[in-house]
Amino acid sequence: MQHLEHDRLVFLALGESEVDTSDRTHLDACPHCRAELESLRHVAGLGAASQELRELPDPPEHVWQGIMAEITAAKELPRLAADRPRPDPADAVTTDTPPGPRRSRRGRWSRLATTAITAVAAATVGVVGTAALLRDGTPAEPTVVASAPLAAYGSTPPAARGDARVLGTGELHLHVANLPAVPGYYEVWLINPQNMEMFSVGVLGDGSDVLLPLPPNVDLGQYSVVDVSAEQFDNNTDHSGDSLLRGSLTG
Amino acid sequence: MRATVGHAPNQANRPVTGIRQQPGTPEDELARRFRAGDELALREAYDRYGRAVLHLATSTLVNRSDAEDATQATFVAAWLGRETFDPAKGSLVGWLLGIGRRKVIDRLRSAARENRVVETVRQLPEPAPAGSDPDTVVDRLVVADELARLPDEQRRMLELAFFDDLTHQQIATVTGVPLGTVKSHIRRGMASLKRRWEVDGATPGARPAGISGAR
Repeated sequence: MQHLEHDRLVFLALGESEVDTSDRTHLDACPHCRAELESLRHVAGLGAASQELRELPDPPEHVWQGIMAEITAAKELPRLAADRPRPDPADAVTTDTPPGPRRSRRGRWSRLATTAITAVAAATVGVVGTAALLRDGTPAEPTVVASAPLAAYGSTPPAARGDARVLGTGELHLHVANLPAVPGYYEVWLINPQNMEMFSVGVLGDGSDVLLPLPPNVDLGQYSVVDVSAEQFDNNTDHSGDSLLRGSLTG
Repeated sequence: MRATVGHAPNQANRPVTGIRQQPGTPEDELARRFRAGDELALREAYDRYGRAVLHLATSTLVNRSDAEDATQATFVAAWLGRETFDPAKGSLVGWLLGIGRRKVIDRLRSAARENRVVETVRQLPEPAPAGSDPDTVVDRLVVADELARLPDEQRRMLELAFFDDLTHQQIATVTGVPLGTVKSHIRRGMASLKRRWEVDGATPGARPAGISGAR
């Protein structure tokens, strides 16, 4: 049996031609052409409906921040849990963790750490974990007292981001990515959002990670906002007002 | 690297996934880096497909914050389950939409439970009054994405047929392209859309790739 020409089926699917008697005779007898026409019609309908999808709005920024926060939390979990009697970390990540291939979970997390070394620029694990891993072959397990995903602030390009972690050692570990180039330098601040009082924690160097000491008696409940600013060499020690990244510490 | 999605100057022609605005990274390379655990690839995937996933969620869930929550959950689940993504089974966006579809359906079901109507519902709850059917939304997004990826000529001809309802002959007249060429562009374009729908679509008979793997 001679099938209908594909061009003919496309014509029919787009509604450009009516099904005539000879089409009908063939379609009644041929499941293949009938199914093909059915599919093409459906696809044409979907295509016509896709016009309204060309102007979709961007998700609000807090969705991305939420994603980063959850991913950071999932990453911290196994390292923090490692020296405690185990509730299995992978189970604790909530039901959102896909079942995945049934490899050992430890294997999975240590592969994650290995990835961090090979892609330091992309990794949030950063210098602390990496250095310790190179030294003794096991991931470091700093206690994290509080952490904050940092997101682009104001007119900063949205790809700029970072993560801040306050370690049990009293240090602030900062990891940043995609910061826009600035003529001066980057400075790190802790800000009290109630009254916008702030103090400088230090400056960022060339790398994507930095470990800065915090004053031992700082009240992180008050100074809860981590801020990275663009500063000029201008003999002015105040915050420039040009914030690039910000995020709120939660413990 | 600066994300340009959402600030593209040529808004009128912006496709659903922003593919054409970011020709720098081929899709395969992005999928590979995503799978390998490159966090920058996660951001790129989000910049490209976050809008599509959010659209799926907002058009099926009534509550805006539920929709944003489902979008967030989709990307987190995709990232944590990235090893289960199999490029041989479909595209990255198709996989993401498959996960998004599960997230949305989970929320529709739990909403139905809260409304104590679950006993009367055998499988899927009826879509909420304002909500569209998730499968249809996924199919539309997949076809829209494929349309955006077609070679320019094919896309142009199909848009004239779909959106302006022009016949082949009218398209030939409007564009000055010979009728035979119009036919072959439209035939090839339709074949690509159909193939993509069969691979990445959600309607019965064409399950999204990897839907059983990550959710």
